[in-house]
Amino acid sequence: MMQLAKRVVRQTLNDKRSVMMILIAPLLILTLIYLLLGDTDYVPVIAVDEVTPPQVVMVLEKQELDVIELPNNVESAKAYLSSHPDVDAVFRADREGTDITLQEPSKKSSIAVKEIQAGLTSLNPAAKIATTYVHGSTDQSTFDSLGYVFLSLFSFFMVFVISAMAFVKERSDGTLERLLMTPIKRSEVILGYTVGYSFFAILQAILIVLYTVYILQMASNGNIFLVLLVLLLLATTAVLFGATISVFASSALQVVQLIPFTIIPQVFFSGLIALDLIPYHLGNLSYVMPIFYGASAIKEIMVYGNGFEEIWGYLLGLVGYIVVLYLINVLALKKFRNT
Amino acid sequence: MNIQVKETSKSFDQLEVIRDVDLTIMSGEICCLLGPSGSGKTTLIRLMIGAIAPSKGTVHIGETLMPNMKLLNDIGFMPQNNALYEDLTAEDNLNFFGSLYKLERQLLKQRIEEVLTIVDLTAHRHKRVQVFSGGMKKRLSLAISILHKPKVLFLDEPTVGIDPVLRREIWRQFHQIKQDGTTIVVSTHVMDEVIECDRAALIYNGALIEYDTVDNLLAKTETGRVEELFLLAADQQKGGDPR
Repeated sequence: MMQLAKRVVRQTLNDKRSVMMILIAPLLILTLIYLLLGDTDYVPVIAVDEVTPPQVVMVLEKQELDVIELPNNVESAKAYLSSHPDVDAVFRADREGTDITLQEPSKKSSIAVKEIQAGLTSLNPAAKIATTYVHGSTDQSTFDSLGYVFLSLFSFFMVFVISAMAFVKERSDGTLERLLMTPIKRSEVILGYTVGYSFFAILQAILIVLYTVYILQMASNGNIFLVLLVLLLLATTAVLFGATISVFASSALQVVQLIPFTIIPQVFFSGLIALDLIPYHLGNLSYVMPIFYGASAIKEIMVYGNGFEEIWGYLLGLVGYIVVLYLINVLALKKFRNT
Repeated sequence: MNIQVKETSKSFDQLEVIRDVDLTIMSGEICCLLGPSGSGKTTLIRLMIGAIAPSKGTVHIGETLMPNMKLLNDIGFMPQNNALYEDLTAEDNLNFFGSLYKLERQLLKQRIEEVLTIVDLTAHRHKRVQVFSGGMKKRLSLAISILHKPKVLFLDEPTVGIDPVLRREIWRQFHQIKQDGTTIVVSTHVMDEVIECDRAALIYNGALIEYDTVDNLLAKTETGRVEELFLLAADQQKGGDPR
């Protein structure tokens, strides 16, 4: 069994692209996500109608806003915004109330609204609403609150692709058949593979956890070793999942063709969208998606700061997957040898 | 070790691929399984190795009823495609497959030297298989199959896509392996190769139509060409029972 694991490691090391895909690609993608979802220093531009009282204009100017004067001759706020794409909002306040006209429902608009509201509440401190969260804080970026999902997603995806492709190659090159013409047990073959790829899974887990927590400074309240354990179990599931999918593919291309059925649904049910928000109780589908178990466990640890007592259910889910997929793969080898 | 196939049939999904084959391959001989592609040669080999169990009948290698895991230690198998790990060097490939037979480290090392010499790849042992030519891959594949000194060696179409010079070379190696008392079963659809063997089994549509020494078989023909026997069988089946 160990001969097989050793061979898998040596073979993967000889293939630079596979090594890059397992070890470097997740870091690259996590960095991009960090930049895309991280804190932004965008300053919205708002045009203020001249009827607005000067004290209101003054508080707006104190905010992180670029305040300009709305020209006199504009027909409507909407027309003005359509012809000025670089202006985010038109603001007008008089005795009848306050009007804000925005370009479109987007992140830029919500930043503008947030800043305007902050300015207005400073006029009237009694209207101030203080928000506090049980987990996390108001100034947390999307990366802090959703980063854990990507951690599990990429770990799973990369290992899945490498393992599925390797198994497809073993099948089509005939090496799997030759392997089974030697006195090795079918269970040893799958175990050897799993152990071999788990070696890379451990390396990958250590690398991406250290990178996200210490370099990208993703907020983490829990035990990092527990996160590593979860990632290892998740990657092991990915190895076996890839091996299972390879039964249904006769070439590497077909593995790619199966990705919309195997990986993409898991992305949506991994925790990116809160399960209660998914209509028709479809959120329950999460319970058949391995990534969901990994992502949920990591969320418990990193976001809620929980320990083993709170996540063992998710770990059990992953272990269950590993056992079932392992047995399926051992049975699938019967095609090559009956005993 | 001899191989006895008794009244063996094999079906996949109701389709009978091997029909009632009775065949005894003598110990220490080279036996040729001759037949057009799709006639069931590979399935017959897989039945003899014990990769699959027969639907009817029995297969014995020596005294052992197949399928049998332990006996795989005495069996060498060279598959139709090369079945090599392209990302590994020739030596790594040999090391890996050798380790599966649980050969002792020292013995394995010595055997690797020996088989590399037999197939004339000693100079290329540290090269990755992906840079090998087709012929070199074939030879390495052969080297792997004889690494553990099998008593029975199965070769599935070993000379497909090989040029005449290399083919002669490979056959020379088969004869050399035979010298050690190894029983060799070779499948081929190239009729000329039959003269290299001691006996030939002619397979047509999953049935054994002739099994005899090569000399006797050739004597049965008018032109001295084996094709005749297949054409005869095709005519008989058309006239006789349409299966």
